[in-house]
Amino acid sequence: MLSVGDRLPDATLLRMGPDGPEQVRLSDRTAARKVVIFALPGAFTPTCDSAHLPSFIRTKAQYDARGVDEIICISVNDVHVMRYWGEMSGAAAAGITLLADPDASYTRAVGLAYDNPAVGFYNRSRRYALIAEDGVVTAMHLDQPGQCAISTGEALLEEL
Amino acid sequence: MSLTVGNRFPGASLVRMGEDGPETVDLAGYVAGRKVVLFALPGAYTGPCSTVHMPSFVRTAEAFRGKGVDEIICVAVNDPFVLKAWGEATGAAAAGITLLGDAEGKLTHALGMGFSAPHLGLIGRSNRYAVVLEDGVIAHANVDKPGECNISKGEELLAAL
Repeated sequence: MLSVGDRLPDATLLRMGPDGPEQVRLSDRTAARKVVIFALPGAFTPTCDSAHLPSFIRTKAQYDARGVDEIICISVNDVHVMRYWGEMSGAAAAGITLLADPDASYTRAVGLAYDNPAVGFYNRSRRYALIAEDGVVTAMHLDQPGQCAISTGEALLEEL
Repeated sequence: MSLTVGNRFPGASLVRMGEDGPETVDLAGYVAGRKVVLFALPGAYTGPCSTVHMPSFVRTAEAFRGKGVDEIICVAVNDPFVLKAWGEATGAAAAGITLLGDAEGKLTHALGMGFSAPHLGLIGRSNRYAVVLEDGVIAHANVDKPGECNISKGEELLAAL
């Protein structure tokens, strides 16, 4: 399981570009930069919609002021769903980058995948937020299943 | 298992958003003793699904009911949260179309309708088809070629009734 001091895996994620889905190498986004990454079980799910994502929209300017170059939200959804969720939630307008991990390869590589068949979730991500400097994790806030407490934008901001 | 007229449609455990959150639907029991239209597509919020396929059933929902169809069901390899949001965004929910998630893709796989397009981020999704089921048995089947959205549209299936 991903911990402080670990290097992020060199995963390939997807985002919606002007000409359709395009690949994003996580290492390209994190090398020589200070980046916040937060992950959640799924777009349009109640806690993610009402609490987790909005907490980073609220705190985006404070992260900017503390030298964070980019805030990235990762979820095991497809790039179409992520695009619409970003638009409808206001995350895209707030400057938050939404990256899709559709085959869960990144989420499994960091050891944070889980299943909840009762709600139709397979290989989804546990809820966490981290700070990475030059690709190395310097703070890791992993929430217990079912909670959205220490991985919020406000809680992670206290690390900076 | 193929989508051939006269075959029994396979049973499956699907998920939908209920009043109190996600709930499981046993498809075989759900369609038993009824006349049901079921159509499947690659995914909520993807281009042709949002702009062509789903709207064709929103347009024709009343006409299907006029021909004795009890329910119109859309199946996609998505979770119930995404399907609920998409059902509201497309007008499908308002048109009375039921959205069921084949979240793990088991039904799609059993039908041999699965495909993956990793560069588009679509893994284990469903090709397009539309069927009429009478007491769980396939009475009409309009199966599109992969990548196409022609004969599985609402108007095309309606013409078969």
